[in-house]
Amino acid sequence: MKRFSRFLLWATVCAVFVAVAVSPAISADNIKMGFVFSMTGGAASYGVSQKEGAQLAVDQINAAAGSGMQVVPIFEDDASVPQQGTNVYNKLINGDKVAVIIGPTLSNTAKITNPIAQQIGVTVLGVSNTAGGITEIGDYIFRDSLTEAVVIPNTIRVAKEKLGIKKVVLFYGNDDAFTKSGADVFRKALQAEGIQILGEQTFAKGDRDFSPQLTQIKSQSPDAIICSALVEEASGIVNQARQLGIPKNVRIIGGNGFNSPALMKNAGEAAEGVIVGAAWNISSTNPLNVKFVEDFTKKYNHPPDQFAAQAFAGVHIAYQAAKVAGTADGRKAIRDGMLKIKGMDTPLGKFSFTEGRDADHTPVVLEVKGGKFSVFVK
Amino acid sequence: MEQLAQFYAVYGSVINFIGINALLALSLNITLAAGMLSLGNAAFAGIGGYTAGVLTVHLKAPLIVSLCGGTFMAGVVGLLLGMPVLRLKGVFLAMATLAFGEVVRIAAVNLDITGGAEGLTGIPNITRTWMIFLALALAAYFMATLRRSRIGWGLVSIREDETAAACLGVDITYYKVVAFTIGAMMAGFAGAMYAHLNYLITPRDFGFFIAVDLLVYNIVGGTRVWYGPILGAALLTALPEILRGVGVAAGPIRLAVNGVILLLVILFLPNGLASLFTRWRPAAAKAGRAEHT
Amino acid sequence: MNLLAQQLVNGLFIGSVYGLFAVGYTLVFGVLDILNLAHAAVFTLGGLSAVWLVQAAGMSIWLAFPLATLLAGGLGLLINAAAFAPLRRRADSQFSGLISSIAMAIIFDAAALGLFGARSVRFPPGTVKVHVWQIAGVTITSLQVGIVLVATLLMVVLTLFLQRSRTGKAIRTVAENERAAMLLGVNVSGIIAFTFFISSALGGAAGVLYGLYFDSLAPDMGRSIELKGLAVIVLGGMGSIPGAILGGLAFGLSEVLTVAVSGTSNLRDAVAFTVLFAILLLRPSGLLGRGKLREA
Repeated sequence: MKRFSRFLLWATVCAVFVAVAVSPAISADNIKMGFVFSMTGGAASYGVSQKEGAQLAVDQINAAAGSGMQVVPIFEDDASVPQQGTNVYNKLINGDKVAVIIGPTLSNTAKITNPIAQQIGVTVLGVSNTAGGITEIGDYIFRDSLTEAVVIPNTIRVAKEKLGIKKVVLFYGNDDAFTKSGADVFRKALQAEGIQILGEQTFAKGDRDFSPQLTQIKSQSPDAIICSALVEEASGIVNQARQLGIPKNVRIIGGNGFNSPALMKNAGEAAEGVIVGAAWNISSTNPLNVKFVEDFTKKYNHPPDQFAAQAFAGVHIAYQAAKVAGTADGRKAIRDGMLKIKGMDTPLGKFSFTEGRDADHTPVVLEVKGGKFSVFVK
Repeated sequence: MEQLAQFYAVYGSVINFIGINALLALSLNITLAAGMLSLGNAAFAGIGGYTAGVLTVHLKAPLIVSLCGGTFMAGVVGLLLGMPVLRLKGVFLAMATLAFGEVVRIAAVNLDITGGAEGLTGIPNITRTWMIFLALALAAYFMATLRRSRIGWGLVSIREDETAAACLGVDITYYKVVAFTIGAMMAGFAGAMYAHLNYLITPRDFGFFIAVDLLVYNIVGGTRVWYGPILGAALLTALPEILRGVGVAAGPIRLAVNGVILLLVILFLPNGLASLFTRWRPAAAKAGRAEHT
Repeated sequence: MNLLAQQLVNGLFIGSVYGLFAVGYTLVFGVLDILNLAHAAVFTLGGLSAVWLVQAAGMSIWLAFPLATLLAGGLGLLINAAAFAPLRRRADSQFSGLISSIAMAIIFDAAALGLFGARSVRFPPGTVKVHVWQIAGVTITSLQVGIVLVATLLMVVLTLFLQRSRTGKAIRTVAENERAAMLLGVNVSGIIAFTFFISSALGGAAGVLYGLYFDSLAPDMGRSIELKGLAVIVLGGMGSIPGAILGGLAFGLSEVLTVAVSGTSNLRDAVAFTVLFAILLLRPSGLLGRGKLREA
């Protein structure tokens, strides 16, 4: 029956209209924040972490705000694929009419979705994008995640100072924007410090077996192994390196991706002595940080990682920008408010934006000692 | 009117993706119609997309040239691949095309000209919705007429019983290669348009899982009628948004729904959702029945 | 250290896990001419449930391993009942069986994600005591040796079972000719269900061993091994169990050596798939296959 199929078509169209129209009407006194995290797919473990951090921040802000400006969070999943990210951005910007977007999890997705926000004029605050070419998209794009370009040179400098390393092997993932650009930065930093790179090995995301590459690395007898990886692969690399018998005094030095308690959880004993250049120090005695770690651990029964910390800080930064701008839904005003953020206290430390709208705060160099991260002092 | 504009602002990207996926599903349908289980169309789309992207970015070619270039390249590769590979049957063909797809993806990850793992960036956003749906309409028309044409019957006869078809004088190799190449070109065209939709394309856009997705669109929609793949592509592309609207949270449930739909369709509606419509249309059903004998 | 010898040893260990996984794949194909694409999902669930048993229920690995294996076998029965048995009467049962196994794989993956979360987990440290040995400049751990032994044991037991036992012979009969088996009084649907049980049990066992070896399990751990498993069984010959074992070892070795020579793991997969492609074109029956091309 042609009639039936036509009826089905119209019914679907109507249903979709209804879904769009019924997005909740929010008073102008509350700020709508859209969160685009990868809750499923390859980046799910990071997205879940970020949502936890963000949710904690939202709850705390709303509890403290009372009858003042509340945060209305809208969490969406981009399934780790840019297609979904695009759909979600459109929905958040045009359907839910959010004032600001926090995310997305992956730099790859950000490169595709952020131009949409830039074109329409909605502030995007990246809380985990550390690849190059993100804030360059436009003046509505910000991020609070310290890029590798800032963290790594500091790490290499400190490592050379304290350990006197002269020759290393570079081991990195070459199929992910984050790890690859991290490796590029490592290479430059090593060359700048005059450290010899004996060779380079690569792996792919999702690899579990690193023994072939590590065997080659072992035979080259480096002073240290420089590793640009996300935490899943990092744990495997650290584990297998020690299993293969690479001695403990050949340190493994990693970037932002290593900065997660999952490293110690998954690599156990093998993680001792790993050096990590990071944007956030879980053991920092900064009172805001201590409170953050405490509250987070109490709420979720496990300690936070850098992704959670940066998401948490991101919510506070966006909220502060809105308060400074004096508006809950003026998109341009909120962007201007972001530019005014200077020396704001966050668990990451004192936070400001650089001229290029990137994160500006002091990086740290951490070491895994006794199963915990502590500042690297040798 | 304003409602429509609002709807498009929110769901425009979904509509675009539905169009592209429907084109890709149709491209696979041609080979499926001949009974060939090919999992290579995602790779052909990738070849088309990358070629078009490179032409636009590095050679500053206008859109129409890039689109043609992408389609042509995909067609050439399809032809070269098809000739040796189409001797294989069933599962073996599937695996060969799958292996091909993976090699293409790995090449895209490792070559400099394709931008490596991060993909080819800087492609201007030129594709518009009307272009996609114009192409889709043309492709659908093509498919509909193909079914009733001599080539169409030839393909169906190959699917039903290859040996018998050969005995009846159907030139098996010729038809198979033609179907495969046309499918490759259509996929390449869709890929080229996709590349100009999103500012960049990455190897992940054309991997194994996309290839499986295309197959699923066809199965769920139905392979026997020209609008089957379109139906399947539309439903499954829109499904995450529909579930989102109904309030199903992201995560395992959405995945599970995908799987359950596929299972239910294959168990109870082996000719896909399209068969729901053909059952109620006497004329089409007669044609369908004639196909089945 | 002897570089080449160490690499060969590395390849041997990963190869034996691949072989175990591939054996399950090829068993179902040999008997039913069907590719069960849900095999990788069973691999994942087998490994994850073993972790859960050890961690949450505090079981020793020696108990958790067989339990997880049995559980995986049960999943195989489920796959057969839901996805393959209802379709056996159909003319295009191979094709539709393939599709429904994809559907089951999606559902199982969703279950894994829902039950175990997205993060990767590992067996608690100390699940298995590991000794590290240095023999002739090559580092081997007791865990690796144990895994190879277990995998070999399982494969030997399977081969003997198929050769000697009555059920094993019945399975081979069904594989040869289903109708003749039925006429001979073999309970064909029961045998098929049992085949799925064994195949998935082995897949789950491979998942546990993989997880023990790499100290990392996640809902997407099946992804990489899925395609490799296909390549292995084509290489070894579809339907041949010794072929799957040989193919697994060859594959593991080639993988490791490619990475060692090129320094990058991306080419590793390219080599694998090019080999797969070449074999399909030149000798589709693989190394030890039956020489007969199956119809679609």
